[in-house]
Amino acid sequence: MGAPLLEIENLRTYFYSPGKQAFVRAVDGVTLAIARGETLGVVGESGSGKSVTALSSMGLISAGPGVISGTIAFRGDEGERHLLQGLEDYVTLHERDGRIMEVSKDETGWQAHVERVMAPVRGKGIAMIFQNPRSALNPFVTVGHQITEAIRLHTPTKDPRDAKARALDWLERVKMDSPRLRFDNYPYGLSGGMCQRAMIAMALSSEPSLLIADEPTTGLDATIQSKIVGLLAELKSEYKIATMLISHDIRVISRLADNVAVMYGGTVVEYGPAPDVLAARFNPKHPYTAALLASIPSAQNVRDHGDLSAVEGEVPDAIDVPRGCRFYARCNRVTDDIRNTCARQEPELREVAPGHRVRCWLYGE
Amino acid sequence: MKHYVQVASEAGESSDRPVWKDADTLDLAYVGYGLLIVTLVLVSYVLGAFKWLPYDPEYIRVDLLNAPPGSAGHLLGTDFLGRDILSRLIVSIQAYFLPGLIAIVISLVLGTGLGTAAAYRGGKVEVLVTYFNNLVDSFPRLVLILLVIAAFKPDIYYIMVVVGVTGVPVCASLVAGKIRFLRQKNFIEAAHVLGLPTHVIVLKHILWHHCTPLLVIQATLGMGEAILIETSLSYLGFGVQEPTPSWGNMVQAGANYFFQGKFWPSTAPALAILSTILGFHLLGDGLNSILEGKRGT
Repeated sequence: MGAPLLEIENLRTYFYSPGKQAFVRAVDGVTLAIARGETLGVVGESGSGKSVTALSSMGLISAGPGVISGTIAFRGDEGERHLLQGLEDYVTLHERDGRIMEVSKDETGWQAHVERVMAPVRGKGIAMIFQNPRSALNPFVTVGHQITEAIRLHTPTKDPRDAKARALDWLERVKMDSPRLRFDNYPYGLSGGMCQRAMIAMALSSEPSLLIADEPTTGLDATIQSKIVGLLAELKSEYKIATMLISHDIRVISRLADNVAVMYGGTVVEYGPAPDVLAARFNPKHPYTAALLASIPSAQNVRDHGDLSAVEGEVPDAIDVPRGCRFYARCNRVTDDIRNTCARQEPELREVAPGHRVRCWLYGE
Repeated sequence: MKHYVQVASEAGESSDRPVWKDADTLDLAYVGYGLLIVTLVLVSYVLGAFKWLPYDPEYIRVDLLNAPPGSAGHLLGTDFLGRDILSRLIVSIQAYFLPGLIAIVISLVLGTGLGTAAAYRGGKVEVLVTYFNNLVDSFPRLVLILLVIAAFKPDIYYIMVVVGVTGVPVCASLVAGKIRFLRQKNFIEAAHVLGLPTHVIVLKHILWHHCTPLLVIQATLGMGEAILIETSLSYLGFGVQEPTPSWGNMVQAGANYFFQGKFWPSTAPALAILSTILGFHLLGDGLNSILEGKRGT
C-alpha cells in the first residue's frame, strides 16, 4: 500500500476571537490518515471540528484570523505535497504575560500562498461535496455547463462537445433521471437530491484522488438520503476513490466507512476499523462513542413513543478547554479509580486492539 | 439576458417562466416607458447624425420669430431666431449622447475594476480604494466640473470625464458589496474548491453571471445623470455653446420670452429633459426591482 494518500498530523486550527482575546480551538491536534481506496468516516457532534478539519485540508481557512499548525501531506498523482508548509510566515502573534493579546495576519499574503499551494490540488487532487448542494451550485449557470467546466479544466478533454458527452455520461453514472433534460436545467429547477447527484458528478468528473464529502446527506429528506448513500456506496465499490466522509449520522458512516474517526471537542477520541468502532457490543470503546451509538433512534423507540436517549450535556467550550479529558464532564462511565486522573490529565490516544485506538483513561495501563 | 431572465422565477418549479410574468405591473410600466424613451433617443440620435431633419437646425428665418407650434410646417414652432424647434430638439441629443456614454463607460469600467480589486484582494488595496472613493465623494460634483472648465475649456467631453470619474465610487461600492455578499455563498467557495482559477471565478461566475443586471441598471441611471449635468451646465452657459443646440441652452434662450406669452421655445426642451431623465431613471428603477429585487439567492 505504501504511504497513505492523505496524512494529517497534529492539525491545530484556531480562530482568534479579539473580543475574548483568546483562541477558539476548533481543531486541536488531529491526526488522521486515509489510504488509497479507503473511506474514512469522521463522526461527531456539531462543533467537534469535523468540518474544520476538512476545510483545513482544502485550504479554505482564510476568512478572518484563522491559524493553522501541523502538517498535511497529500500524495496525489503528482507526488507529495505539504499543504500547510510556509503558512506560519504570514501570522504574527503578539504575546504579553504569556497570553496572546493580538494576532495579525497578512491576509493577502496568506491567501496568495494558499492559492499557490492549493491550485494544483483542488478539483484535480481533492474534490469536495458539501451539504446543501443547492447552494453549492451557481444558480445562474446550467448544471451541465458547470460539470462541463470542471471536465475541461481538469481532464485532458478540452473539446466542448467531447466534454459535454462526458458530462452527460457522468450524470448518467450518478443516476440522474433524464440527464439530457437536466443538463440544460438551472439548479433551482432541480430537487435537492438531484442537485447532490449533480455535485457528485461534478466532483468525480475531474477524477480526483480524494473526495471529501462534508455532510453529503444533511438537509435532504430521509428517502433521498438513503438513495444518495446508496449511490455513494456504489460509486465507492466501482471507482475505489479514497473518501473522507464527514457526517454526524452514525448510520451513514456505518454503511460507507472502512475506518472511523470519532471526534469530540476538536480531537479524535476513537479511531479504528469501522466494524470495531461501531459495533454495539465491542468492549474497549470510548464512552462518547458508546453514548453516540446509544442515541441512534431505533424502531423500538419510535413504536413506543419512548424517550430518545441523548448524550447528556454540551460540547465543551472551545476557548476554555478543560485541562483533563474533554469528555469528563459528560462521561457516565468514569470510575472512582480514575476520576482524579480524568479531571487533571488529558488521556493519550492508546491502542487497545490492532489498529484501534481510544483516548480514555479506562483503557490506561 | 438568458441567465437572469430565467432565474427570477426560482420560487416556481417550472424553470422556463420568463421574468416579466412575475413582475409587478407598475415596474413593467416603468420599464416600458423607459424603453420607449431609450428608443426615441436612439432614433433621434441616428436622425440627427445623418441630418435627416425637417429643417436645418441652424437656419435663421427672420420672418418667423417665435412662431407658435404648427405654424408654417414647424411642428413645435420656432425660437427667437426663427429656427425650427423640433429639428433643434433632435440635434440636441448629439450634445449628450456620446459624452454620456463615455461617462458611463468610465464609471462602470473603473468602478467595477476598483470594486472587484477591493473586495477580492482586501488588505491594502481595499484601504486605497476606500480612500479614493472618499476623496472623490467629498468633492461637490458641480464645483469639480466648474474647476475643470476653468482650468481647461468648456468642452462637454472634459465635463463627462469628470462625471464619469465622480460616478466611480457609487459603482465601486455597489460591485464590492455584491462581491462580498457573493463570496460568502457556498457556490463561490465550491468553485474555488473545484480548482477554478480566481480570475475565472471573478470574471465569469461573479461579474458576468451576477453583476450584469446591476451594471445595466447603473448604466441607465448614469445616463440620466449625464443628461442632467449636461443640460444644467448648458443652461448656465458652461456646456454646449450657441449656435449648437442643447436642451439646456434652448431652455435658457427661450426663457427670455416665456413671460411674453411665447412659452413654447423653452417648454418644449424642458419637457424633453423631464421626460427623458424620468425615462432613464424609471427604466433603472423598474429593472432594479424586477431583476435585483427578486433574487433571493
